[in-house]
Amino acid sequence: MRRAVFFLTFLSAVVLALMGSVVVAQDAPVVAVVTPYLAQPGTQSLVEGFQAAAAEKGWAVNVIDTAGDVAAVISRIEDVVNQGVDAIVINVDPVQVAAGLQVAAAAGIPVFGMDAGADPLLVTNVTSNGYAMAAETATYVVDRIGGAGGVVMFVFDPYPPVQKRGIIADAIFANNPDIQIIDRITPDVTDGGIADSRAKMEAVLAANPEPGSIKAVWAAWDQPALGALQAIEAAGRQNEGIVIVGIDANPQALDAIAAGGNFEASVAQDFAGIGAATADAVARYLAGETINQRVIYIPTTLVTAANVADFLGSK
Amino acid sequence: MTVQARLSRWLRRSGTLIGFLIVIVYFTLNIPNTFLTLPNWLNISQQVSMLAVTAFTMTIVMVMGDFDLSVGSMASLSGIVAALFFRDSQPVLVGVIVALAAGLVGGLLNGLLVSYIGITPFVATLGTLTIFSGAAFLLSGGKTIFGRDIPADFSGFARGGIPIGTFNERALLFPNLTIVALIVFVIVWVVLEQTAFGRRLYAIGGNVEAARLGGVRVRFLRLIAFMLTGLGAALAGLLYASRVASANPTQGAGLMLDAIAAVFLGMTMSEEGEPHVVGTLLGVTILGVLDNGLTQMRVDSYVREVLIGAIIIGAVTSSSLSRRGH
Amino acid sequence: MGENGAGKSTLIKILAGVVTPDHVEIRLQDRPVNIHNPQDAFTLGLRFIHQELNVVSQLSVAENIFVSLPYPRRAGFLVDWPRLHADATQVLAQLGIHHIDPRQPIARLSPGDQMLVKIASAFVGADQSNASIYVMDEPTAALTGDETARLFHVISELKAKGCAVLYVTHRMEEVFQICDTVTVMRDGRVVETRPIQGTTPNDLIRLMTGRQLEQTYPARLAPIGQAVVLDVRDLSTRRIGGIRFQLRAGEILGVAGLTGAGCSELLRALIGAERCLTYDVLLDDHLLPPLSPARAWEAGFAYVPEERRAQGLMLSRTIRDNITLPHLQRLSRGGVFLNRAAERGASSAVSQSVQLRATGTEQITRQLSGGNQQKVLFARAMMQTPRVLLLDEPTRGVDVGAKFDIYSLIRNFSARGAAILLASSDLNELLGLCDRILVMRKRRQAALVEAAGLSAHDLLTLCYEAPA
Repeated sequence: MRRAVFFLTFLSAVVLALMGSVVVAQDAPVVAVVTPYLAQPGTQSLVEGFQAAAAEKGWAVNVIDTAGDVAAVISRIEDVVNQGVDAIVINVDPVQVAAGLQVAAAAGIPVFGMDAGADPLLVTNVTSNGYAMAAETATYVVDRIGGAGGVVMFVFDPYPPVQKRGIIADAIFANNPDIQIIDRITPDVTDGGIADSRAKMEAVLAANPEPGSIKAVWAAWDQPALGALQAIEAAGRQNEGIVIVGIDANPQALDAIAAGGNFEASVAQDFAGIGAATADAVARYLAGETINQRVIYIPTTLVTAANVADFLGSK
Repeated sequence: MTVQARLSRWLRRSGTLIGFLIVIVYFTLNIPNTFLTLPNWLNISQQVSMLAVTAFTMTIVMVMGDFDLSVGSMASLSGIVAALFFRDSQPVLVGVIVALAAGLVGGLLNGLLVSYIGITPFVATLGTLTIFSGAAFLLSGGKTIFGRDIPADFSGFARGGIPIGTFNERALLFPNLTIVALIVFVIVWVVLEQTAFGRRLYAIGGNVEAARLGGVRVRFLRLIAFMLTGLGAALAGLLYASRVASANPTQGAGLMLDAIAAVFLGMTMSEEGEPHVVGTLLGVTILGVLDNGLTQMRVDSYVREVLIGAIIIGAVTSSSLSRRGH
Repeated sequence: MGENGAGKSTLIKILAGVVTPDHVEIRLQDRPVNIHNPQDAFTLGLRFIHQELNVVSQLSVAENIFVSLPYPRRAGFLVDWPRLHADATQVLAQLGIHHIDPRQPIARLSPGDQMLVKIASAFVGADQSNASIYVMDEPTAALTGDETARLFHVISELKAKGCAVLYVTHRMEEVFQICDTVTVMRDGRVVETRPIQGTTPNDLIRLMTGRQLEQTYPARLAPIGQAVVLDVRDLSTRRIGGIRFQLRAGEILGVAGLTGAGCSELLRALIGAERCLTYDVLLDDHLLPPLSPARAWEAGFAYVPEERRAQGLMLSRTIRDNITLPHLQRLSRGGVFLNRAAERGASSAVSQSVQLRATGTEQITRQLSGGNQQKVLFARAMMQTPRVLLLDEPTRGVDVGAKFDIYSLIRNFSARGAAILLASSDLNELLGLCDRILVMRKRRQAALVEAAGLSAHDLLTLCYEAPA
């Protein structure tokens, strides 16, 4: 009997816990946000931006984190489709969850990408413009070095979102005949990218010992830029005026920019803005509007010593 | 036997089942329109299929009182191995066969370490967990293999099924993943419950020394059992890769703990606390139904994790409490 | 005393506070006392020595003696080892035990010495002024003759110190050796309590079984055959050596020896449980390859191991599972798929022929009494009539009635032409059943003698080293 009593007590506890955690909104639209990456800071900003906008609209938002499990994203999409939510927002590569997107499509439930990647099965994807970000930092370099001198590039073509940054920088530097590309380096990223970028940069510095022979380092994201900075400082060449730029404005990069050294600029994505804009896209769709843009781009901001304080404060 | 003794005996064996039924009634009342529908249950069956295959085959080693911690990383490794063959434009069948062979080889390694070298299963499979995981990272270069590298034939499998009519004017499929899981269930059930091999595994679990002196080839059978578990893990990894149309060196990692949890939940249903694959099926279903129902009730995903953990502990505790009282 | 299932163990469990009785009134020195849990029993001065040795095998003798008490400390937290060892030596000396070094690991001791350590450990917890009560459940089951003598010496020391001893045993001679009064139980009730003075063994057997035993050892049913079934020309393992004997159909060969002389090892080597260094053995004139237990069963060996719980039975499984385990190949369809109907039929048939008392073949083995568990192992051996039957202490911990059943079973095996090896620490049993006796001494075969005309005294003399 003890067992039965124990189990029933336990079960009632479970039931009470359930009731406590369920907030039932009767007729407001229900939107499910599914992501495997909620533990990452960028994703958190995305979701917070979305939730804030959704709260103004009076929606019931169900945020589901699968803790890195992509197959579980499909399962949860299937569950919320079954539940009959009004819209689904995903923050994961749509190709990997295509099975779930098909189920949603079959049930006529719209799915929106929030910094996810473009896919025919999505109504739209809201994200930052990778081409524009690369253009911002590349032109910054061109302007700072007066359109002439040697430039080292760090790129990563195997990963499409980063690859598109590289080709824009290629084009802008090619448009300035006096700029020479000293090296176009693809670092090994298995340890995060900083250490190998530093080693590669040290080799480049050794091969170009003349002060002024290297005018700038353009990196397609922040880690190689940080590695290059370490190499330059270790070689004692921080006073040659080598300009370093990165993209993404991660906390380490912001610190380096604020320190006022060679690392001069990066680009910050507006994650909260992407979240809010996704909510707007959902609202427009639910109101009956047809959304023609497959991708909606949210402006990004160039971060330099001039405005870095704003970003440091927000972190 | 008194009425009360009969009742308590029945409750001891069926407590987990009764709890499960109460959960179902609760979800049915709270999610009246969708929970207790055929599409939703087909849905659940498809979602748990990878876990189910892992847990069913995990039951084979747990019957002997052993367990295999390496199933999760074996699942990841098998997905990567298949994807590499696909990237080389090899036929789907070749990739699948090689990946399953990797599972057998991995299981063979576990079996050799445990039964012939005599390392405890915890240490041996913890070691191979790391080895398989490392191999998956090495082979893939740490990257996710996806997109055009994964043939549509392969990723289409997880999305397909056998048409079984319509529901609310939507075509209803009996999912391929569910079919695979059911086939594995039947095979494991036959092996464990209907063959001399299975009986001998239970004998090893009952008393390994008595089994050996009673004419059971303990070392050889343990080896075979670990190979079957490895094969099951590799199959689960393929199902996973097919479902997400990609292969990532960490994607199977979550399977191991859930599989062990499912077997434990099932063990609470047997009088002597032995694992049986029918119990494991119930364990897997409980985990799947909780995930599905709680998502539909919009319970915070972290609350869900806590609840599932608490339910596992609760079921196992109540069953061992009752055994002690017994 | 009492047969298996008479209720002796339950009585002890109630005293120990492990089992809650429906109704109880216990008086200690004329005061009613309550025992709700083992702690109560301990506080009242009750000490329990079980048949199974619950020693902590990784620890030393001294640590085992003081295992339930705080160790003496130095500087507040360091264990004072020299004092611990000195205390242990003193405790052992108080009980007249001088041959055990408290510093050595307990696992190195013989079962008999481990038992003595266990008694010493029960002794230290006792308040000497509060005359304590020792409850011993079959303490000599695992002991050899000289170890038993040593134990009895310790018991007389306890008696002299004013302790009372409740002694449960199956061995008739022990009751007459050390007991003052005897209580006989049957079917959960006390049949009679009487002084030993004026009681005969036959009286006790009558009280226990409710019937008169005609004779303890049943007679041979068929003469020994001519054919040599088992011819061991040379057999040695890392632990035993110099084994040479021949065994004819129906012959019963006893294996005698002191504890640690290698009797069990001989049987284990023959069933393939030990790796053999030399192995030159013929079965029915065919040279055998070195065997594993699995191949030994297939070749026609059957084995009833010494420790039925640790080595023989899967207690959580059914009687049927336990009986059919070595024979699954034959009982299964195509050797692969279980045929439960065939298993049930075959195991229920052999259960009947061993007179197993159970609710059926589907009962869980754990629920059976010790004697009936032993019968399950005999049923297992009997299922395919074995060519060679290896019996290691088959009547240990078995009551008198069941003992007779088992003796009859052994005779049955013999009549069906099985060659039988019987290892036993009960010399009368060997003399009563065996045709010849192989004596092991210091892990080597020391003698091979005809049993006829041999006395227990002669046999014991052979077991001890020949005087120089």
